[in-house]
Amino acid sequence: MPSQEPPRRRVPGPARPRPAAGSGGRTPRPAPRPAARRPAPRPPARKPRTIKLGSPRPRLRLISVGLTLVMLVFVVRLLQVQAVDASAYAAKADKYRYQEYTLSAERGEITDRNGIALATSVDAYDITADPKLFTAEESKLRDAPEQAAALLAPILGKEPADLAKKLRTPKSRYTLLARKQTPQVWNQIKDLRKVYAQKAQEPGGTGVNLLGGVLSEPSTKRVYPNGDLGAGILGYVNAEGRGAGGVESMLDPELAGQDGKIRFTASGGRQVPTAGSQGTPAVPGSDIELTIDRDIQWAAQRAIADQVQKSRADRGYVIVQDTRTGEILAMANAPGFDPNDLSAANAAAMGNAALQDAYEPGSTSKVMSMAAVLEEGKAAPDTHVTVPNRLHRGDRLFKDDIDHPTWYLTLNGVLAKSSNIGTILATGQLGKDQAESNRVLDGYLRRFGIGSPTGLGFPGETAGILAKPEDWSTSQQYTIPFGQGLSVNALQAASVYSTIANGGVRVEPTLVRGTKGPDGRFTPAPKPGENRVVSEKTATTLAQMLESVVDDREGTGTKAAIPGYRVAGKTGTANRVDPELGRYKGYTASFAGFAPADQPRVTVYCAIQNPTKGSYFGGQICGPIYKKVMEFALKTLHVAPTGSASPRLPVTFEPTP
Amino acid sequence: MSAARGPLKGRAARLGRLMPSGPSSAARTPFVLLVVLLLGGGLITLLLLNSALNQGSFRLRELKDRTTELTDEEQALQRDVDAYAAPDALERRARELGMVPGGSPAFLGPDGKVLGEPTVATSPKPSRTPSRAPGRTGDPARAREAAAPGASASPKPAVTGTAPTAPTTSGR
Repeated sequence: MPSQEPPRRRVPGPARPRPAAGSGGRTPRPAPRPAARRPAPRPPARKPRTIKLGSPRPRLRLISVGLTLVMLVFVVRLLQVQAVDASAYAAKADKYRYQEYTLSAERGEITDRNGIALATSVDAYDITADPKLFTAEESKLRDAPEQAAALLAPILGKEPADLAKKLRTPKSRYTLLARKQTPQVWNQIKDLRKVYAQKAQEPGGTGVNLLGGVLSEPSTKRVYPNGDLGAGILGYVNAEGRGAGGVESMLDPELAGQDGKIRFTASGGRQVPTAGSQGTPAVPGSDIELTIDRDIQWAAQRAIADQVQKSRADRGYVIVQDTRTGEILAMANAPGFDPNDLSAANAAAMGNAALQDAYEPGSTSKVMSMAAVLEEGKAAPDTHVTVPNRLHRGDRLFKDDIDHPTWYLTLNGVLAKSSNIGTILATGQLGKDQAESNRVLDGYLRRFGIGSPTGLGFPGETAGILAKPEDWSTSQQYTIPFGQGLSVNALQAASVYSTIANGGVRVEPTLVRGTKGPDGRFTPAPKPGENRVVSEKTATTLAQMLESVVDDREGTGTKAAIPGYRVAGKTGTANRVDPELGRYKGYTASFAGFAPADQPRVTVYCAIQNPTKGSYFGGQICGPIYKKVMEFALKTLHVAPTGSASPRLPVTFEPTP
Repeated sequence: MSAARGPLKGRAARLGRLMPSGPSSAARTPFVLLVVLLLGGGLITLLLLNSALNQGSFRLRELKDRTTELTDEEQALQRDVDAYAAPDALERRARELGMVPGGSPAFLGPDGKVLGEPTVATSPKPSRTPSRAPGRTGDPARAREAAAPGASASPKPAVTGTAPTAPTTSGR
């Protein structure tokens, strides 16, 4: 160590002028400097060769300036990267570092009132292929697409020629072979692919897997386990899996849930295990519980489908409603469709015609006229009404459905025999003049729910047509009392009978009982609105009058009688406005009623549009459907007959000469 | 010595520190060993950690596959159940068993009183049932659907004993 001292002592020499140069900020210890300057004998210590050492000063300065500049550039760049453009760069970096996936939310189920699934979602696979791998160069086979198609066709249930054509798509790397296949189908294909992979590796093989280009994409499929059962109510989903009709569309936000997201640090496309991940989990959709009873729906659907076919009718509807709660137990349409296979469905049958068709109800709406007459106290069930064969009113000559000599009917008989003339005569008593009568009748019709939406909020639902009473034409004011010149949908018509069955209080119909959220908690639907339309007494009287329609020998609805039960009902045979021609052509046959008449539980409404074969009278073709469906509903709901006797109100009276 | 140290302050001292500080021949072997051990240990730990992670991811993959498999199976089985439980299928099977739809309902009260009018159920289309004497075995029971009269009254358990004989309408 001592041997090195002399040269070291010499080194400080050149540094002496530095403090004078003023660039003193470099050393952190300025204190020793004056001390170093003071020893004067330094200059003599200098020797000629130390001059060489003095020259590094400008060099050092140059270097330090250079370094400073470089550092400055770095600092500026650092500032730019870290402060000015920080967010942009961070985002760019994140793009490479993080991978983000959408976690698709599971769509909720739709169940019937007993929790039986009517619509549910299952896992499925879209089977795709890479046509490039089937070209002659890649597969080393001339007819690879044909060979592969022949293998896949039986599994996918498609035509081999179609598949081969898809696999031959030129200059493409993607083709969709089949949509929404079950996992079992994909497993079969995977197994087959494995077999061919082994085969290709064998000595005689081409070395290329024939099915190597067949791929899959996970997806979900909406399944309707009961096929066409209640299809009109349930609706269907579109290719994106969103509701496109019926309840699926009406309650799509609830059913769809909320898609989640997952984000994790990835390296080479794989998750870095230690880095963790973050994101929001998917919120599955709520399950919807309908008021529909699957079995009653089935009975209703089968009954109406058979009759529509037998009568070669355009369509038909059956509605079954709980009279006390307003819940719709069944709403069947014919013809229907299978939401599992929309490609085979008839576009015209894909709606819910029971809510979307507005038609003239005909005689079934006479019960509202009778309700008005009774409630206003203008007549009683035994009031005598003399019904001539023809009645001249306004600009028209009105007649009943059959030619008859002058009938001597009670008001009850007018309803039982469904006399148009009798109804016109009775409703004429509602006001002092026709205009007032119209206003009074209109008030009742509207309170029964005619001309306004039913409150279901169903997509495409019609509110029907009921003009303002001051706009009623000369003939309309006489036809509306017996159900022509106004339009309703089937549910509105059914609701009228439920109102009478429920003691004159109209309960808004409901289709949804409640929803079960992802947390498993059941939220019942809000209670439906209620309003009194007629008094309890009027409702009871009307129920008794409606019984005469079914149980009286001369009634029009005898085919609807159920042995052992007291059944109230009303037939309807309306002239139908052909929607294409825009004029009256054909008929609308209908039947509405409830049972048991003295303690009503169930309302059944049936209508058939444009029956062209056999009878077109409501009592003849809809009566039996009513009977079938009502029997089934009574059995399903365990409604026993009350055992009381029907009052058998008189239908006719003996005219006093 | 202290005099010799004096001038070594300042820049010279700093430069001096960069020079090799003489032959310090302290025992190197333990230090080298320590470093080798540390490095080797670290490597082995990393290796173990890595394989543990890999094992975990294999297991994760395995379990995920198993979940998918079981979900698929569950859904396939549910599909089968639904196919059997669909009203149409039930009705068809009931017919195959020789059953026919019952007519208007009749009820047997707890006191033995019959409500409604019991009738013998007859097949609406006898030609459809291939077997001879279709539904003879179940006919009398079928017409009577037993339940307590009036839904408001609590159903007696005794009555339900007779109820299962009337599933002709493919109800629940």
